[in-house]
Amino acid sequence: MGLQISIRESDDVTILDLRGRATIDVGESELLDGRLQTLVANGARKLLLNLTDLTRVDSSGISVIVGTCFSLRRKGGDLRVLRPSGPVLEVFRVLHLLDAIPSFDDEARALASFRSRGYAASSSLRPL
Amino acid sequence: MTSPCSSAPPAPQKTALVVASGKDIDELLNTVLASDGWSIHRAEDNQHALALAATEPFDLIVTGRKMLGPDDVEILRRIRSARAHLRLIILTDRFTPGDVVAAMREGAFSYFSAPFDAAELAEMVRAAMAAPCWDDGIEVLSATPAWVRVTARCDIPTADRLVQFLRGVRDPSIPEGIISAFREVLLNAMEYGGHFDPSQHVEISFIRARRAVACRVKDPGQGFSLEELRHAAINNPADDLLSHVAVRETQGLRPGGFGLLLAKKLVDELIYSEQGNEVLLVKYIDPAISQVA
Repeated sequence: MGLQISIRESDDVTILDLRGRATIDVGESELLDGRLQTLVANGARKLLLNLTDLTRVDSSGISVIVGTCFSLRRKGGDLRVLRPSGPVLEVFRVLHLLDAIPSFDDEARALASFRSRGYAASSSLRPL
Repeated sequence: MTSPCSSAPPAPQKTALVVASGKDIDELLNTVLASDGWSIHRAEDNQHALALAATEPFDLIVTGRKMLGPDDVEILRRIRSARAHLRLIILTDRFTPGDVVAAMREGAFSYFSAPFDAAELAEMVRAAMAAPCWDDGIEVLSATPAWVRVTARCDIPTADRLVQFLRGVRDPSIPEGIISAFREVLLNAMEYGGHFDPSQHVEISFIRARRAVACRVKDPGQGFSLEELRHAAINNPADDLLSHVAVRETQGLRPGGFGLLLAKKLVDELIYSEQGNEVLLVKYIDPAISQVA
């Protein structure tokens, strides 16, 4: 499998460290979708995807990320991303997703953003 | 089409022949092959591999990176003339785009030119190990340095193989962006036009002009109207980049709809035929790059 997912928590934020690629090839995007859906079904509302070691993403992977973000915001939660780079950042950039999904270079700042007073406001200002 | 591959049941233990390519690559291949219980044989160089292949029925051969591209193709030709369905992955430091096309025409499973992406190589080896029937997947219909026409079977492993051949060319005028765009429209054609039915094929042309590269993909489906795809991001209004997500949810569709938009953003032109089962991608080449290429 070309995608490895590690899950950890920081207070009420669930962090997923993604390593490899989130593409349709051998079911990586399906794997990611399954993990995210399970987390949301189990009550997770604040998700941070650490994309530092994600080397490639295609439309299937993007669709999973955006779909989860959409679902979370309707439940009062949110999804944010950490350190997209290289081809992954390029995909986010050309699709203008950085305008809709907050992205951070620093994990502490990303976690703090979920606790800030503007958390709810930023989510509602940019509905998907 | 080439003759379909054998439907004989797989042997209990598969054997691979790995030609020395240096410590890192050799260790990577060992790890991948051993993890699935394959027996691994080694050769010092490709000539040694050829001699071993004459007596041992290997299921997979990974060539050594230090050979010239044409020599790899000649070995491929000689080995496959004796064992038609053997899977051979070419690793090479020195090659031409013509070598890549020749390898595809002669039935290489895949082609990696330096510098190698270890993760991609590992995934391709796993794909080769898992592929029970692969060698009628890609057929080169015609090829000149400027225009290559192929057909590809409608399944994801075949799409991945074709994309890797394109990456293997390492043409500086074919950046990763257009390869990603090609991959998106290819998978779209295989899924929606061919329903991922392995008996169906997609037809592809790659055209390399002086100031542009183009790629045409024709699927076997009935086509569609781009304007009617409300569940696709490509039709979202400019001020609501993600409105199709709600449409898809209402229609009970799985997450998706970004493929065409992503392809469109990565090339300069994305043009559909009237029927909608043919699409043309065009990327204009920076004149400075075209002079280097």
